[in-house]
Amino acid sequence: MTQKTELTGTVPEAPLTVPSPVQQEDSRLKAFFQKGTPYWFVSPYIIIFGVFGIFPIFFMIFLSFHTWNPVAGLASMRFVGWENYTLSLTDPTLWHTLWNTVVIALLSGLSQHLVALPMAYLLVSLGHRARHWLTTAYFLPYVTSTVAVSMIFYIMYAPESGIINRALVTLANGQITGFLFGWINDLMPIRWLQENSLIRYSISFVVFWKYVGFNIVIYAAGLTTINKELYEAAKIDGASSWQRFRFVALPLLKPFIFFAVTLTIIGNMNLFDEPYVLTRGLQQAATNGMTISNYLYRIGWEWLDMGGAAAVSWILFVVIGIFTGIYFWLFGREGLGGND
Amino acid sequence: MFALLENTHYQRGISIAARTVLWAFLLLGVFLTIFPFLWGGLLATHSRTSMFSSAFVLSFSDQLFVNYEELLRIMPFWLGMFNSFKVALIGTAVSLFCCSLVGYGLAVYKFRGRTTLFTIMVCSMMMPPILTLIPYYMIVSTLGLRDTHLAVWLPFVINPIGIFLMRQYTVASVPKDLLEAARLDGASAFRTFWSIALPLLRPGLATLAIVQFVFLWNNFLQPLVILTSTEQMVITQLLRRVQGIPNTPWGAVMLGTTVSILPLIAIYMVASKQMISGLTSGAVK
Amino acid sequence: MYKMTPLAAAVAAVAAVAMSGAVISQEIRFDGFPDYDSQINAIADDFKDVSGITVQQLINQHGGHHDRIATTLATGSGLGDVVLIDVGFVGAFVDGGGFIDLTDRFEPYRGNYPEYAIAQGQGSNGHQYAVPVDLGPGVLYFRRDFMEDLGYDIDEVTADWESYIDYGITLRDEHDTLLIGDAGDIANAYINFNVESGNGLYFDADGEPLVTNERFVRAFELARTVRQEGLDGNITAWSEDWTTGFQEGTFATQMSGAWLLGHLQNWMAPDTAGNWGVSHLPTGIYGTWGGSFLAIPAQSAKPDEAWALIEYMISEDVQLEGFQNIAAFPAHTATYDHAMFEEEIDFLRGQQARQMWAEIAENVEPVKPHRGDQIAESLIGTALENVLDDGMEIERALQNAENQIRRRVR
Repeated sequence: MTQKTELTGTVPEAPLTVPSPVQQEDSRLKAFFQKGTPYWFVSPYIIIFGVFGIFPIFFMIFLSFHTWNPVAGLASMRFVGWENYTLSLTDPTLWHTLWNTVVIALLSGLSQHLVALPMAYLLVSLGHRARHWLTTAYFLPYVTSTVAVSMIFYIMYAPESGIINRALVTLANGQITGFLFGWINDLMPIRWLQENSLIRYSISFVVFWKYVGFNIVIYAAGLTTINKELYEAAKIDGASSWQRFRFVALPLLKPFIFFAVTLTIIGNMNLFDEPYVLTRGLQQAATNGMTISNYLYRIGWEWLDMGGAAAVSWILFVVIGIFTGIYFWLFGREGLGGND
Repeated sequence: MFALLENTHYQRGISIAARTVLWAFLLLGVFLTIFPFLWGGLLATHSRTSMFSSAFVLSFSDQLFVNYEELLRIMPFWLGMFNSFKVALIGTAVSLFCCSLVGYGLAVYKFRGRTTLFTIMVCSMMMPPILTLIPYYMIVSTLGLRDTHLAVWLPFVINPIGIFLMRQYTVASVPKDLLEAARLDGASAFRTFWSIALPLLRPGLATLAIVQFVFLWNNFLQPLVILTSTEQMVITQLLRRVQGIPNTPWGAVMLGTTVSILPLIAIYMVASKQMISGLTSGAVK
Repeated sequence: MYKMTPLAAAVAAVAAVAMSGAVISQEIRFDGFPDYDSQINAIADDFKDVSGITVQQLINQHGGHHDRIATTLATGSGLGDVVLIDVGFVGAFVDGGGFIDLTDRFEPYRGNYPEYAIAQGQGSNGHQYAVPVDLGPGVLYFRRDFMEDLGYDIDEVTADWESYIDYGITLRDEHDTLLIGDAGDIANAYINFNVESGNGLYFDADGEPLVTNERFVRAFELARTVRQEGLDGNITAWSEDWTTGFQEGTFATQMSGAWLLGHLQNWMAPDTAGNWGVSHLPTGIYGTWGGSFLAIPAQSAKPDEAWALIEYMISEDVQLEGFQNIAAFPAHTATYDHAMFEEEIDFLRGQQARQMWAEIAENVEPVKPHRGDQIAESLIGTALENVLDDGMEIERALQNAENQIRRRVR
């Protein structure tokens, strides 16, 4: 793995014999195929992206310089130059929702990885069977549709009848626990989803809960690619289990950490479903609970201003691009690994 | 392979107390992650009146069959499950092939335009799907693919996340000298990929299969605008269309939601076995 | 491009009519949201007997249905022949040119429908693009037993907003009960049903935003008083706490549409039967909650068949059927003379509530819609949240909202 041999499609094979005309034709074909090899490999992406991916991008660039009410049909687009952008960039709500998004992304993102990494390491060291069942359990939230998960949490967060508050009340009134938790009674009912001061935490918890298992699985799968001899060697050198985690597992996990963190950055910045359902379609605690994606939806689909929404989406795109860019710049060399 | 980590030296290193704490912690995690599902399953046995009363306790009720009949009455539930299964299975199979091909290509070869391609890919992950819905619908209409399952899975077989994942797996677990050796032996590029790299990518493929299957199964936005005839509809669509706010038959919906998760768990179990067999049969030397 | 569509549609319609002679059975599609699937199922066979037209349906949940309409209107294809539109969306949809002008077809019938509902289905050019199919006349639901306990009389309570709030204070002090689930409802009712004549809901005749005027300030003040006095529970409608609240009598009143009754007696709080009553809103204003419309997309190839279905659905008998099947309150005012409307409702302790609803439906003042209503509504919602939950000053919150409305409504 440490070897830096380059495999390139352009290295010609040494001819073994003088080629006959037929063989010559054959090898020319071969050379063509060989030159094109990398392109054959990436061709599925190019073809399908060409069909489904390119048009939307140009459409959205075009759209962001127009005002367009979608229900009036395509012919109603009107060119407005940079107006959508200036309007959005000076919109305080946009910056506030961006801030909400960043806070939720950081709260849920950091906790996800800080928990998932050591958990994966633990699970892998527990052996097949335990790992199998435990990861299945932890992975469960990820497989359920976000909307179903958010709905279940919506019910659990209910101030009066919700199971979370009822559990807290039980705790506060319990004979033994009441001594420690009695103060909770003064706060009841806690409006997890109605208070602007709490909504970000409540959303972050659901996001954390849903995706932590996904990261555990990614890391666990990554850990299994690590060669066992490396652990052995480290152990012979007298490394403790923390040191083995820190100096053997962690460095080799870098491509996986890089992958998973990139996904978290992009996914969390685009967060839509959880805040949408938990704020009851942006009807409660929307000031602090609305993410920029939600705002985009509101502008485009509720207010039917697709041009304005397109401009916001490009602004969001640039913001994510900057975050991802900084991240790639800081960690990309190690994270992308290997072939440059 | 991880016999090392299970061996007695390792285990003796952790004291009994530490292990107890550890297990308590792990099981608490299990409880927290599965509780909402148990609870959802529990709700599936209730009528909506008892579901929303404060007298509701953690117990099963007797409404399960009533809810099941209600579920079948309001939607072609099993047809929807079948459609979802079909879309997710075909979509996953094709995308495993495409993503591993492209990811391998990006990881192993150096070629003109590679960085550009990779950048485009990462960037395309950042586009908010809500807004590209209209242009997507326009393309599907132009291609005449409205109300077909093809339109629901084909655009996603080149999931950038999957390609990115396969690229990272290739970098991490396919030794270059192995590929070089194969090339010197005269194996074609595709053959090298197919019979040497792919087996090594198995844990990654299994992970991708889960991600992709879950995504296709839970996808809602695209089916919503594309699939119009009831016979074609997928389960997410069917379950959500009965949730007209005031009059939702919550018992039936909870039952449907709970049952619709089961195939995903099954797929996870299968794929997760693959992840393990990947590491026992892997030829990483 | 879309200017061509009416012509294209007309040509297609002629072709469709010409063909209908040859082809016996025609098929059209109805796009809607629940519970209208039950209503269509119930009437589809009879409709086929009358017209020879088969009705297919595409039902999606409320939000998805309206997103889908926007997508298909945007791209000019994929929408059904008859579309059901909720009142919350109708203003935004009818002005876009995506629906057929029904003015002439609707003309012979319009006398049978309330003026306010007709106005809601009109574009800013005064043409009819959507016709009302059901209404949501608004009332105050109240607990009779609580009122008796405290020796109050409903007319006394709803005389004006002050007496309503006074009742709330008594409830709080002597009955340990909330006046209302969410104080925001009071503000919304006040804003929506006290519109100055000549003005729209949020904009005046010249399109200037009105949101800092006396009506909005007063509405916000009322809601803030209720919140500060602890008379509401900040309980969102359709949340679990709301349902439980009805069952346990957490709050004594709730403003809502006629349709809430069906939900209360069927599943939300069947055990409280006999304890409820309905009344006019405080100060006797007429209001509405909800209502739906039918429209024909310009992209439909069968506008005549589609109109035949609409005609059928808004006819007197089918409207009554809808009331029975899915509790959709009829838009056809002649139905109000039917014996059904005389019925005494046990759940409301024998009150003849339907007569009150009918009276309300016929008396709601029409309000001219504005294309910016949707934007203003959600910005006012945010302002209200800022005032009630975060303690922002009313003037400042409304001024913020006005600035935002001016920027966003272009």
